[in-house]
Amino acid sequence: MLTAATVAILVIVFYYPVGTVLIEAIVVDGRLTLAVFTNLLRDPFYVGEFARLFTGEGPVAVARAFAAPDRRLGIVGFTAYQAVLSTIVSVALGLPAAYILARFEFPGRQTLRSVTILPFVLPSIMVAVGFVATFGRNGTLNAVLSAVGMPRVELMFTLEAILIAHAFYNAPLVARVTTAAWESVDASAVETARSLGAGPLRAFVDVVAPQLYPAVLTSAALTFVFTFGTFPIVLALGGFELATVEVFVYRLARDLQYAEAAALAIVELTIALGVLFAYLRYEAATAVAARRVRPLPRKSLWPDAWTPRALFERAGIVTYAGIAAVVFLAPIVSMLLASVTTADGSLTLDHYRFLLTRQQTGAAFQVRPWPAVRNSVLFAGASALVALPMGVVVAVITTRASRGRSLVGAVAMAPFAVSGILVGLGLLRGLVFGVEVAGWRIAVAGSAAIVAAHAVAGYPFVVRTVAPGLASLDASLVESARALGASRARALFDIELPLVWPGVVAGAAFAVAISMGEFTATVVLATGADAYTMPVAIERFIGRRLGPATAMGVVLLVVTGFSFLVIERLGGEVHDY
Amino acid sequence: MTTDAELDRPGPNAPTAVEFDGVTKRYGETAAVDTIDLAIREGEFFTVVGPSGCGKTTTLRLVAGFEAPTEGSVRFGGSDVSGVPPEARDVGVVFQNYALFPHLTVGENVGYGLRFSAPPGGVSREERIETLLELVDLPEMSDRDPESLSGGQRQRVAIARALAPGPDVLLLDEPMSALDARLRERLRLQVRSIQRSLGITTVYVTHDQEEALSVSDRVAVMRDGSVVQVAPPRTVYRRPASRFVAEFVGDNNVFEGVVAAEGVTSAAEDEGDEIRVVSVDVHDTTLQVALEEGSAERAFDDRAATGIDTHGAGFSTAPRPGDRVVFCVRPQHLRVGRAQNSVRAAVEGAEFLGETTRVHLTWNGQPLVLSADEPLAGSVTVGFDPRDAHVVEHAASDGADTS
Repeated sequence: MLTAATVAILVIVFYYPVGTVLIEAIVVDGRLTLAVFTNLLRDPFYVGEFARLFTGEGPVAVARAFAAPDRRLGIVGFTAYQAVLSTIVSVALGLPAAYILARFEFPGRQTLRSVTILPFVLPSIMVAVGFVATFGRNGTLNAVLSAVGMPRVELMFTLEAILIAHAFYNAPLVARVTTAAWESVDASAVETARSLGAGPLRAFVDVVAPQLYPAVLTSAALTFVFTFGTFPIVLALGGFELATVEVFVYRLARDLQYAEAAALAIVELTIALGVLFAYLRYEAATAVAARRVRPLPRKSLWPDAWTPRALFERAGIVTYAGIAAVVFLAPIVSMLLASVTTADGSLTLDHYRFLLTRQQTGAAFQVRPWPAVRNSVLFAGASALVALPMGVVVAVITTRASRGRSLVGAVAMAPFAVSGILVGLGLLRGLVFGVEVAGWRIAVAGSAAIVAAHAVAGYPFVVRTVAPGLASLDASLVESARALGASRARALFDIELPLVWPGVVAGAAFAVAISMGEFTATVVLATGADAYTMPVAIERFIGRRLGPATAMGVVLLVVTGFSFLVIERLGGEVHDY
Repeated sequence: MTTDAELDRPGPNAPTAVEFDGVTKRYGETAAVDTIDLAIREGEFFTVVGPSGCGKTTTLRLVAGFEAPTEGSVRFGGSDVSGVPPEARDVGVVFQNYALFPHLTVGENVGYGLRFSAPPGGVSREERIETLLELVDLPEMSDRDPESLSGGQRQRVAIARALAPGPDVLLLDEPMSALDARLRERLRLQVRSIQRSLGITTVYVTHDQEEALSVSDRVAVMRDGSVVQVAPPRTVYRRPASRFVAEFVGDNNVFEGVVAAEGVTSAAEDEGDEIRVVSVDVHDTTLQVALEEGSAERAFDDRAATGIDTHGAGFSTAPRPGDRVVFCVRPQHLRVGRAQNSVRAAVEGAEFLGETTRVHLTWNGQPLVLSADEPLAGSVTVGFDPRDAHVVEHAASDGADTS
């Protein structure tokens, strides 16, 4: 029953709207055609030298064209290119963190480990503002550089800025997944290898590393998928010069070229789903049952003896900590700073005053701060109420049901890979503009569509926080409850949910945070409707000066952080899951 | 307290509580349970035993309703329960890993099933919980956390919890496997006496053949998804239905040979009674094996209960010269210095087991094992009474299996 409801919601708010958009790409003026596609695939502007493949040239010619110095990547090619680079940078930045978190003991380690989830749920538009405040012409980086007498650098609208911002998001993900894998390496396995004659390095290569590859690959695949579909970061840091597919889909949709937008979105979706599917196949093949292990002992950060090796290792850690501080703290600190300073560096509260004035005197067509805050909080609460049961049901199915679990898993996780623009467009054209069902015209309000889009974006996180707990519960607990007379649903409420409660609370917190930070689908749906949220407000403010945007960013940060706290208080302590 | 299960077991005329009718359970291509027929009687302590992967746990899960049969039907008291979910079956289940709800106290665990049905006998919920905890010898433990209990105590709470709603059938899935040997022996006596005092139909799954023999009214031996024998413990031990059962249940010496002569009358060595024997050539030595009379009582017993012939006793058709037979002799029936059926074997080693010494021998490359009071060395002559040899396989010379 719950399963049916979940599937119905998914179909209504995700598959149907997305489907209507996709159909526009192949049905033009009521006729089925692939013309939009073939035009797109033959256009070097989109697919670069691959266009040669679709205009009849052989693979050799394509390879030769790519080898040439004036090769064209096209929008799709550039998107993949930056996604690959982002993945490499994220893995490079994430692995040392995993090493430190998994192998060293120091005060605050647990906290740091928990905090690695934070970047992932920080509103992307806010992070983008933070990076503009860091790397912009008048940003903190240039302020620091000129203070020490070095020349200014121009990082805005460069690939480097985008890569660093992507690493900000995804390196913690790499660190998190890899740390978990590292902690589940059984010390006895390493000790066995050592006793059989392997040195420490050899034991690492032979025993530990093979257990880490799947985790690294997992996080790399996810990073690729996320950065391939990136939108707000590139919109704010790259502009249209460094546009990715998602940005172009947005632009095409804004120009009402829906068929082209849909076709491009399909190309994007195919690539993202391809990677995700390959990864899921790999995960299924390498999945091992969770088992209790004796983890490797942690080293103290302050060594007993300063051997050269220990010294070298610590020097590396200190260097890394410096880099990490710049990447992860600079954007937030810069944003806070920029919100209270003028362009010439003196302290001011003008930006906040601007928000107040706008609230009091803003015209009807202008974005005002209070409705944005109110809308964000309302949408977050409503979408969490939808996302929680959906996520719990999907988690139960994917961890418990024997039949169709992989299918349900794939169907339910697809929203992870589908562009927010696509979801937003689909909801807008499918539900907000209305559909005819059996002679009735059904249309939902823009705000309801936003809640639906946020729930779709948020429930995979609920699945991710609840499923591991459920999977670690012995199936015989539920079976015992059922043999004692409890129905399946009753066993879920009596036994499973109380035991995975911390995960449920964490899931609620994520659903709220995701909703508050969601920009991509919201910006599509909020157009026209009076339903703009804080991230949309930030984007509108960037247009003029950075100051008000950073002030609005701080408001968003405070409201999001406060919501997190409230959920934690209401639901009990959020453990590290 | 009697520990010998067979003395007062429910007779063949007791009504059937749980019945398997041609039940097959397939996972993909493999059949975990392959066309089995069983009839478990009311009030019976019925044990399913077999090596790991034989389908015994699947059999139990089919009774509980955690699995549905692919083919055939499972019946409770004559009615098909194939579509009935576990919560509507009135079964109590105890798992190997206890599966106590960690967020509930001991008392809440025991009382959980009473949320869905009134306590039997019109008592209050609290009284029922108290009674059950006393039954498993854990009074005053109601407010404790399951985490604070020892393994044996947790298992007893799990049993109390399963019994609290007064189920029709109690199902135990390797309930002792996680406990140490001494505790296991004590707990199984306790389980047996609780079962006896409540008279509850019980299905017990174990891989431990000693456990199966010690507590059960009847034992079903499974192998590769099939039931190969259903009989009381003594019958399974003394008259195994196949070579597999002979070797799985207890130690055994298995001989393969060819019938040399039939229907010889021989005087039993000690008593002087005349018995009918066949001569079997094994490794160029002629050994004599008694022709067993099929027991009418036993045949009725097992056949009526299961629909299959499971005692496999002796020859079902008269042996003829040239027929291939397999028979077995228990280690304690192989005696040093016995002249009848004697062979000369080399001592390979001995294990001191406390009560007895298990001596390993080889005879023409075939391993033999016997129980002795003291270790032996060199080479020894061992023999056995023809009546202690039990035929487990008999194939006519034309190739037809007639056993």
